[in-house]
Amino acid sequence: MKAAAFEYVRPKSLAEAVGILSEATGDAQVDAQVMAGGQSLVAMMNLRVAAPDLLIDIARLDELRAVSETSDHVVLGACVTHAAIEDGLVPDPSRGLMPDVASNLAYRAVRTRGTLGGSLALSDPAADWPTVMAALAAQVILRGPGGERSVDAVDFATGVYETVRGADEIIESVHIPKLSPRARWGYAKFCRKSGEFANSIAAAVRDPDRDYARVVLGAVNGPPIVLQRTSSLLRAGNGGDCQQAIAEDLRGLDFDDFQASLHAAMASRSVRQVLT
Amino acid sequence: MHGPSDTGFGVGASLLRKEDARHLHGRGQFVSDVKLANTHDVAFVRSPHAHARIKGIVLPPDADGRVFTARDLPRLAEMRAVPQVNGFKVSGYPPLATQKVRYVGDAIAACIAPTRAEAEDLASSVSVDFEVLPAIIDAVDALTKTPSLVHESWANNLFIERVFQEGNLDEVARTAEVVVRRTYRMNRHVAVPLEGRAVLAYRDHRLDELVVYTSTQVPHIIRLGLSEVLGLEERNIRVIAPDVGGGFGSKARLSPEEAAIAALALEVDHPVRWVEDRGEHFLASTHTRDHHYRVIAYADTRGRVLGIDVELIVDGGAYAMWPNGPFLETGMAARNLPGPYNIRNYRVKTHTVATNKSPIGPYRGVGRPGACFAIERTIDEVARAVGRDPAEVRMDNMVTSAQMPYTTIANLKFDNGDYPAAVKLCAEAIDLPAIRARQKQGEPDGRLIGVGFACYSEQTGHGCGEWVSRGSPFIPGYESCTAQLMTDGTLVLLVGIQSHGQGLETTLAQIAHEELGIDPAKISVRHGDTGLSPFGMGTIASRSIVMAGGAVAHTSRLLREKILKIGAHLLQCDPADVRCAGGKIVGRSGAVGMDEVARVAHLRMEALPQGVEPLLTVTSTYQPGIDTGVYSYATHAAVVAVDPATGLIELLDFAVAEDCGTMINPMIVEGQVRGGVVQGIGTALYEEIPYDEQGQPLAGTLADYLVPGAAEMPAIKIVHLHTPTPYTEYGVKGMGEGGAIAPPAAIANAVRDALAPLGAEVNETPLTPRRVLAAIRQAQATSRRA
Amino acid sequence: MTRIRLRVNGKAVVEEVPPRLSLADFLRERRNLTGTHLGCEHGVCGACTILVDGEPARSCLAFAVACDERDIRTIEGFADDRVMTVLRQAFHQHHGLQCGFCTPGMLITARDLISRNRAGSEKEIRKELAGNICRCTGYTNIVAAISAAAAALAGGEETDAGATQHKATA
Repeated sequence: MKAAAFEYVRPKSLAEAVGILSEATGDAQVDAQVMAGGQSLVAMMNLRVAAPDLLIDIARLDELRAVSETSDHVVLGACVTHAAIEDGLVPDPSRGLMPDVASNLAYRAVRTRGTLGGSLALSDPAADWPTVMAALAAQVILRGPGGERSVDAVDFATGVYETVRGADEIIESVHIPKLSPRARWGYAKFCRKSGEFANSIAAAVRDPDRDYARVVLGAVNGPPIVLQRTSSLLRAGNGGDCQQAIAEDLRGLDFDDFQASLHAAMASRSVRQVLT
Repeated sequence: MHGPSDTGFGVGASLLRKEDARHLHGRGQFVSDVKLANTHDVAFVRSPHAHARIKGIVLPPDADGRVFTARDLPRLAEMRAVPQVNGFKVSGYPPLATQKVRYVGDAIAACIAPTRAEAEDLASSVSVDFEVLPAIIDAVDALTKTPSLVHESWANNLFIERVFQEGNLDEVARTAEVVVRRTYRMNRHVAVPLEGRAVLAYRDHRLDELVVYTSTQVPHIIRLGLSEVLGLEERNIRVIAPDVGGGFGSKARLSPEEAAIAALALEVDHPVRWVEDRGEHFLASTHTRDHHYRVIAYADTRGRVLGIDVELIVDGGAYAMWPNGPFLETGMAARNLPGPYNIRNYRVKTHTVATNKSPIGPYRGVGRPGACFAIERTIDEVARAVGRDPAEVRMDNMVTSAQMPYTTIANLKFDNGDYPAAVKLCAEAIDLPAIRARQKQGEPDGRLIGVGFACYSEQTGHGCGEWVSRGSPFIPGYESCTAQLMTDGTLVLLVGIQSHGQGLETTLAQIAHEELGIDPAKISVRHGDTGLSPFGMGTIASRSIVMAGGAVAHTSRLLREKILKIGAHLLQCDPADVRCAGGKIVGRSGAVGMDEVARVAHLRMEALPQGVEPLLTVTSTYQPGIDTGVYSYATHAAVVAVDPATGLIELLDFAVAEDCGTMINPMIVEGQVRGGVVQGIGTALYEEIPYDEQGQPLAGTLADYLVPGAAEMPAIKIVHLHTPTPYTEYGVKGMGEGGAIAPPAAIANAVRDALAPLGAEVNETPLTPRRVLAAIRQAQATSRRA
Repeated sequence: MTRIRLRVNGKAVVEEVPPRLSLADFLRERRNLTGTHLGCEHGVCGACTILVDGEPARSCLAFAVACDERDIRTIEGFADDRVMTVLRQAFHQHHGLQCGFCTPGMLITARDLISRNRAGSEKEIRKELAGNICRCTGYTNIVAAISAAAAALAGGEETDAGATQHKATA
């Protein structure tokens, strides 16, 4: 299929991009979409599942590819590509978790163009970054006509393809707290075929020096879920017997037998990786 | 019987492929690569409903003669498949829907525009008023309940049902000590060649011809079909299949789009083109498989199968595709259910049901993967019921080489072969003892290891009598070849098959080399073009090397006779004393070049011997020495690791022990085996197109319809047996489809083996993690109740 | 219509394109570079893979307008490329293609993975090929070809394109 017709604009700065977007969303007739890597958006446009009137191309904005590092944070611009993370071309706050996730995300030809910000903005339930950013307690920085605001990654997605991003806001960057040298992580993803969308994702992080642990479940047909009891257990260093906690965390959630089994298996695998 | 020469370029040589060069440089020419000035693209308006009456079609105000419905193409007749099979209900298949639509994706109108994107815009602005009707979606329900009818003129939703019975099954049923009952399901597939379908058509006014480029496996048959459906004389149609990016059977039928595009080309004064996009491929290309089996096997306490009683329902979709309709699926399954086994009591009832889904057609293996799944799973269960190793029980039941030639209970006449030897060889290749040892040890990660076998015998190169008895409207019992020697001694072969990955541009040149001694690099093989080649039946049914190979051999020998006469005359010796070798005609005391002979025949006729006419062009046909087919066969073995926590299956190893008689090019044979096996793995683990109750297909992209990728495939070991058949040139047997036949059964048997401690089995493909986990849960629940 | 300026296989190209024209269609229909194939247009099959600024990308998921000022390389643009020459020879020797439709995308992906040193093992190569579907070969020979090409390049061997017409053993 071929995309429906649209107008294309390539703003020269983030401020200009926000201006165009806010003007378009103000005018109810103009359906405007922001495009970074386009790896999800263009596929949807080719299928005519998405048909924006205006495409705002932010892929080349240097501001959005900027990275910076402090003693306890790394800031990655929204348009940092998965490949850049995979290849170690940007600072890694996660002690290997992010490059590992990136290298297993879709396919190389998609990773060279797809971006961290794009993945968070779309919030495909089976995507990797929403789960991982939630596990790392990252913050998403949004720029709108009124200025900047920060949202915890764990609260960013509200549903399938739904986030708290306002229609006139653009993701500018992601602030990721650095894991301490003693921190450990685990990541388990269930795919029938390499590169395809996952049926279950579990990311587990434990950073005893910051008294932090979080186990997050993704590919749950909704926003990623923090497994609270499992996280507490892991924080206390007692994740060895986490099956019970996982089962309790999953109870009452809307999963069929198969989904529940997958999620339990991935959650427990990710926790085991942390502890061994 | 002709033994292969030792030049290294003839029969038996793993000659590297002549067709590679263009593809490696991106210079292949597929239909969508053909550039004709002023070509306009077409997008179809397709039905969003599985079953509906069309009440009205409203065109946008700017349609301007660019939207064509059936009414706007009055010369476009409906396609009628009329197999000569008693009881087959005929129905017309209008290329553009007239009063009703019968599946989601059914084409209603063709929209023309300068680009495909604009054509899609136009299509989306066409408004169709539907009266939605209940959709007939479940094949079993369509048969057993009384829902509405797919075709109103029919009494029910059956294309055809048949019963075949031989032997004394009722007696066996009464007395057998072991009875195994199972139901099996092989879910609906889409073929997914990487190149979808594509058609480009225009009128050549100079030649007074409608030229149709189409991605097809059967160009002459398409020409015939177009001539019928358009009311055009065949001489005024040329069909060209350029490079074709895979077909696997799905491009062996006349498609409604081919007919519609051809009809459109007659209405406008510029070329028209339709390139199928992947979404359309899922909706509206030929679907396939979709078998439902109920099997009862009767055996003795040693596991000797005494009889089988089978009921098979195949979901044929909404229409019969031209020319054969869907009957092949049940017909072939019924013939192949007894497998390579000596089973003497058999009853099979088959029902080919009409539903509101895309019509089915052939796909690698046709009815055999389903039949193999049913019988091979059953053999395993019989073995378990009597407490014996499934490999041993297979061999005990198999037809042996001493019994060859052997006519099965379903009237397949095996020519030769050693079926038990293939089982043994395969077990060695997979290292069965090592796997059993590994199973005893257990896996540190908690996964369960299993090994499974599956065997088949594949009828190939079958001829006239066989096709007639199947009721085929056209009888592909021969192939043709024209061989032309150029004045420079190079050779052109014009053949009626169509090579779309099988390497026939190379293997046919090898055969001509074998007979004429001309370097394959100096031989051009032309195929796929009805304007060039004599009539041929195309590439289907694992027939090409037997039929076209035979035609090339036979034609080359006729040509050789004349060449030797001329050559001998030039060397002033007896024709019996000369032979072709190394591009020359060689006598006792000298040699003359092939080019010299060719120049005489075309340019210097005064030097021809008495009674020999000018020209070195010969056309002939070939039929194999037997009608009933030559049988390649194999045993496949799969080793799996099953994760009982998630149901995920990993394929650890896969081995094939196969026999296809003489191999013209072993490298190409192995390529076909591996390609087929991976498609079979696709059937086993990944591929299905499910439907919801309203008849909406639930897989529309390659993200939801999974096909095998490199990361999950094992390396696939192949070992060969060699039993040349006496009935073909060089003893070749066809083998293109075989690889796809056994993997679903082998993998399901391996899973059965792996989950034996849990008592779980999965009898439905694909064996998804969901189905595996459900089977494990069910087995656990059953054992808790026990 | 928007004017774009880009490089295609080393040549500067200036054209007016509608925004929705994909890079794939731009290459195939406007530049007559039909070696890049379309198998799905949703980024899964890999048949459309080309190089953008030296990195593999899906031409079906890029709009030509967004490729303004980019350096595009298609299968037709590797005439003098050593890695591609060795790969082509290896694909030929190992029977790494059948119908040829996936081959251009497969070669570009293979060249990229070799240049990133990802051809160290069969497992690694297979994982890197996850984004390129082949429906004909079953992948075994493609993996063997890439492995052989990587070894040949690492060993600094010159390949003699005309030497042998027969399948390499082992």
